[in-house]
Amino acid sequence: MCLDDQILNTYLDGELVEPWRTQVEEHLTYCNACKSRFEQLQSLHYLVSSSRLEDQEIEDHSKKVYQFIENNYISKKKRGFFSRDFRIKTPTLLAVAAAFIVIFVGALLINPKGAAQTDQLIPRVNVAEEGRVVQVKATDGLTVAQILDNFSLEEILKYLDSRGYEVDLRLKGLIPIDSVDNLL
Amino acid sequence: MEVKSNENESFRLVYEEVFPVVMRVAYHVTYNMDVSEDICQEAFIRFFERDIEFKSVDEAKYWLIRVTKNLAINVVKRKSREKAMVDKIKKAPKVPIRSGEEVLISSETKTLVREAVEKLPEKLKSVLVLKEYADLNYKQIAKILRISESNVKVRVHRARKMLESMLDREEIDVS
Repeated sequence: MCLDDQILNTYLDGELVEPWRTQVEEHLTYCNACKSRFEQLQSLHYLVSSSRLEDQEIEDHSKKVYQFIENNYISKKKRGFFSRDFRIKTPTLLAVAAAFIVIFVGALLINPKGAAQTDQLIPRVNVAEEGRVVQVKATDGLTVAQILDNFSLEEILKYLDSRGYEVDLRLKGLIPIDSVDNLL
Repeated sequence: MEVKSNENESFRLVYEEVFPVVMRVAYHVTYNMDVSEDICQEAFIRFFERDIEFKSVDEAKYWLIRVTKNLAINVVKRKSREKAMVDKIKKAPKVPIRSGEEVLISSETKTLVREAVEKLPEKLKSVLVLKEYADLNYKQIAKILRISESNVKVRVHRARKMLESMLDREEIDVS
């Protein structure tokens, strides 16, 4: 035997790739043993495949199942927002639009950077017993850090000053310009 | 074309195209029409309720075939467990056919072939059913069963070999 059944089956299913496909094709033209085996496999495939459930045997079941799904699922599905009918009368629509405008304008009139936010600048301040050391505690860390970022150093100092704190500012790690030049 | 499984129009479209295929898959795994109908119904309900988006009708089809095949295999497993005690051994049927000729096969022959397919072990049966009854290529079968293409190739070959011996090799030979 020159070609094995697996190759013939793959060829039969049209799944054999080149260059083997052409080689098998050629081989089958002159090798009777392989040709006859191929025909047997072809018959088997035909036999199995034609024992399939026919379309007309499926039709009724298809309709029945669809009917069931349609009645129990499709029709019960809540209608989506966009597929719904919009039947709002024009005056209603205008009123809704007007309301929106009022809300927007109203929002703009109120200054968002009001006193409310400044109060949250330093949520909790602990003063040590000696009355000298002031410990600033950021209880809800991230939130405070984010809020502090919104203010300039000047604003923070001004705020602390207004609260009566004595602030000592020191700059650390500064290198004189001359020495930087030397380093370069 | 994208397919949304719970959108009425896409559902209908997929249903029309895929129902016959999954019905065939379910039937040729279980060989019971009522059971197959239930399986397909269950598969499509799951499809509808899952609300999945597929890239194409084909992708939806593969999903449905996979679900159907799994449901069908489970039914068969349950059935075989129940039947294990009353194991009835049928004699291998003989199917006379002439090679190379496309004869219309009789209903008895059909029954014999179906009985033979039914007896295939699960792994070979799944591949063969998808190949012969769902008209899928190796690549598609590999995708659905989540196995390699070469594995599909081997299983198709083994399934046919087993079927051939069950259907009696002597009879299939050239007359």
